Amino acid sequence: MIRIKNLEKIYRTEDVETVALNKLTFEVKEGEFVAVMGPSGCGKSTLLNILGLLDDPDDGSFLFNGIEVAKFNERKRAELRKRNIGFVFQSFNLIDELTVFENVELPLIYLGIKAPERKQRVEAVLDKMQIMHRRNHYPQQLSGGQQQRVAVARAVVNNPKLILADEPTGNLDSSNGNEVMALLTDLNEQGTTIVMVTHSEHDARYSHRIIRMLDGQTVTENIMV
Amino acid sequence: MIRNYLKIAVRNLLKYKFISFINLFGLSVGLTCCLLITTYILNELSYDRYNKNAENIYRVERTFLNPETKMLSLELGSVAPPFGPLLENDFKEIKKVTRLLPFGTTPLKFEDKIFNEKDVFFADENLFDVFDFKVTRGNPAKALYNPYSVMLTEETAKKYFGNDDPMNKVIRFNNQFDFKVTGIYKSLPPNAHFHPEIMLSFNTLKDTAIYGEKNLKTNWSNNSFLTYLLLPPGYNPKKLEAQFPAFQDRYIRDDGPAKFKTSDFSVLNLKKLTDIHLYSHKDDEVEINGDIKRVYIFSAIALFVLLIACINYMNLSTARSVLRAKEIGVRKVAGARKGELIAQFLSESVFVSCVATILAFALTWSALPWLNDLSGQKLVLGSLLNPYIILVMLLVPFIVGIVAGIYPALFLSSFQPIKVLKGILKVGGANVSFRKVLVVFQFSISIILIIATGIVFQQLHFIQNKSLGFDKNHVLQINNNAGLNDNYQAFKTELLANANIKEVGLSSRVPTGRLLDANGSQINRGDSLAPTKADIKLVRADADFLPAYGIKIVAGRNFYKDTNFDTSSFLINEAAVKALGLKSNEEAIGKQFQYGGRKGTLAGVFNDFHFESLHQRILPVVLFEGTNQGAYGNISIKITGNVPAALAHIERTWKKFLPEIPYQYNFVDERYSKLYDSEKRQGTIFTIFSCIAILIACLGLFGLSAFTITQRIKEIGIRKVLGASVSTIVGLLSKDFLKLVLVAAVIAFPVAWYAMNKWLEDFAYRINIPVWVFIVAACIAAIVAFATISFQAIKAATTNPVKNLRTE
Repeated sequence: MIRIKNLEKIYRTEDVETVALNKLTFEVKEGEFVAVMGPSGCGKSTLLNILGLLDDPDDGSFLFNGIEVAKFNERKRAELRKRNIGFVFQSFNLIDELTVFENVELPLIYLGIKAPERKQRVEAVLDKMQIMHRRNHYPQQLSGGQQQRVAVARAVVNNPKLILADEPTGNLDSSNGNEVMALLTDLNEQGTTIVMVTHSEHDARYSHRIIRMLDGQTVTENIMV
Repeated sequence: MIRNYLKIAVRNLLKYKFISFINLFGLSVGLTCCLLITTYILNELSYDRYNKNAENIYRVERTFLNPETKMLSLELGSVAPPFGPLLENDFKEIKKVTRLLPFGTTPLKFEDKIFNEKDVFFADENLFDVFDFKVTRGNPAKALYNPYSVMLTEETAKKYFGNDDPMNKVIRFNNQFDFKVTGIYKSLPPNAHFHPEIMLSFNTLKDTAIYGEKNLKTNWSNNSFLTYLLLPPGYNPKKLEAQFPAFQDRYIRDDGPAKFKTSDFSVLNLKKLTDIHLYSHKDDEVEINGDIKRVYIFSAIALFVLLIACINYMNLSTARSVLRAKEIGVRKVAGARKGELIAQFLSESVFVSCVATILAFALTWSALPWLNDLSGQKLVLGSLLNPYIILVMLLVPFIVGIVAGIYPALFLSSFQPIKVLKGILKVGGANVSFRKVLVVFQFSISIILIIATGIVFQQLHFIQNKSLGFDKNHVLQINNNAGLNDNYQAFKTELLANANIKEVGLSSRVPTGRLLDANGSQINRGDSLAPTKADIKLVRADADFLPAYGIKIVAGRNFYKDTNFDTSSFLINEAAVKALGLKSNEEAIGKQFQYGGRKGTLAGVFNDFHFESLHQRILPVVLFEGTNQGAYGNISIKITGNVPAALAHIERTWKKFLPEIPYQYNFVDERYSKLYDSEKRQGTIFTIFSCIAILIACLGLFGLSAFTITQRIKEIGIRKVLGASVSTIVGLLSKDFLKLVLVAAVIAFPVAWYAMNKWLEDFAYRINIPVWVFIVAACIAAIVAFATISFQAIKAATTNPVKNLRTE
């Protein structure tokens, strides 16, 4: 599903050049659950940006489902992104001014799906995440675990092939964290590919494979059993 | 999609109430200013356009030059009576010529009703072929044909005849002539350049008792006949004007200095009817005209106020971007393209400006009567109900929304989503600098407006307090009347019998009026009289005129009081002494002098005084006595002591001598003050708009500083923990903004200086632009800005630092 080769990303300020990704090469197969680990500044977030088609690499190749996307422009990337990729963040990133229902509905709006179908699909996913009773609440009225469930609901509502999770349990206590990890495992078992950046060895154990990064390069890969 | 945008927009408006208030209030007030001024401009531009012939009607105008120096001597919007018929005769392309003669204030009487009427005109019988009037009674083709016919407006007819049928009623004119009512018409709309309320048939003038046919055909020097031409559609008036010099030379001879042709000193030109109101400033306009300059000034002010409000929107939206950053990131991640985000933010600003537009219409509707009071206009919102204007009005919220929203939209939509969502967005650099530029721009405009206001008021103060060379206080002006011709001495003696009345003088014109009459002059050089190049204006006056105004004789003597008419003496002012090339006032005394057809000697020189408004230079003036009582149009009465008692006495005396003529008076100081009405209104309007501009700019600054301080709350906490005092923190926070005000002042100064210098050019007597006005303006802006910011800063600086640090 994902095949990157010699990927490079360099950030330049006036006098400092920071190499975020240094000829990075790896592959994620369809249906895999991969955890990416490494110290702060090792290039995890940059990688996630590029995998999520939010940023473009300076050099190298990025095949997404067999299509070379490294040189896609912003419009094409957005198009591919909104149909194929869902995001889950550490800090949930729900829009405070929108209700639970409206937050989850957002990706469908940008896909141009008509209101009746949107309603049906949002309700189905809220049901699945057991958050239906909170549909008209605003994010600040929910607990952290509930907020992350809404965020996951939003990530999966458009049936993406790939979910990118950026420390999804980082702001949660352990029981809520486990709940979210269980949700992700569920989704993976139903066929969704997941790439998760995490600092937590505990969470990484939910994955099939752990990629460890340092200074913009992969250092080891552990296959989980 | 749009619904989702609007939902977010409304919820954001409600969530950040204070910022929303600043934006909505600013934009509404800005748009209200624009709407009010648009109404005013539309009205100014609409003058005389209600005539179906408006595009093809031209007024014949006459300008007099000094034939030697080619200097302008007199510019008139009216011409001598023979011009009309001769033009029609000589130029076949002229379709119609029609004339009107304004007759000044005249008493009219029907049975026991007597009123002084001021809008009385003699009008040609074919007036209605050229101009659009709504004639409701009588036949417009014939109503003004017979001599001694009169047409009245409906209001005037009602005043004299109540509900009776006015047709064929006879109304008495100046207690001398009877006119028969032959037609009734509706008053012209306010946007006409003249408003005849009473029209007497022009043919009446043929009667020698009134003016005489010979005069109509041969009098080239009475240039008070408004003469309008109807030209064929699309005809270029320049073609006619090119033939006017030859035309004048053909008909007018012996009306100027012998060695010159008429076209050397008299220029005829055509003014398009629709240009009269805004572009014509002749010495004798029928009514006070508007001015295209004022239209420009007010348009600029309205745009500036709106721009300040738009800038608030830009500033506050970009400053608030940090708060919206997460939303933007989430939307991008959820699949929004940059274009969709731009669309979202633009639809938000358009939504805000739509709400502001609706509020602005409500505000305009309630503010219009007040503006009318203030400006002396008769504006109606209805003038906005024109399909083009409605179209523009519908576009306004979109234009304003886009202008105000485009920068925030571009700025916000360019956020990098992952950075934003990870909370590592740094709002700074270019964005902050741009905001500073905008604040500087707002304050520059505000400072310019404060300076303008200050200078307008300084100039007004200067005018009101300038030594005029005469005493305008407690001088009463009343119109002379033919009824006094035979018993004026008795009338005067009775007035002077009251101890409160000091002087009673006669003159053809009174100070605060215009000096429009002039003749050629000759003075003795060697043994004989030689023509002078001096352009000297004439005023007929008696021996009591100068004393009534406290004007001093600086050389020679006044007119002899005891002789009935001292017709061989001339008095001139000091300006005339100079214009005649005499070395001193004393040198003038005793010189032989000829003015027009009258010969005599220069008997005295009086001090220069401001006969006309300070817009005009002091002109050379000659005074001489009339040959009969009717030569004087005005009686000036100097009152000392008990004014009410004097007024009562004057009224009693008037009624005793002229029971048939309504008593009416003016105080000269009030007339003087009225000369500057338009400047005073301009001053008031400047004040109002600059206050609004500053208010909106300060609201923006208030919002912006509140925001900036929130951003620096941690820094403030740390500084306090380290021992900073409240005052150092307030200083720290205010300093940045005050620097911006200073930069704004530096930009504003030269602009304001240039603009106000231009404005002052209209005055012959003006102040030098005072430097302190600039300093005060900058100080006002700085103080207001400081007060705005320090309110926030003190709040932040006095909060417990531990609280601030915990917000992390």
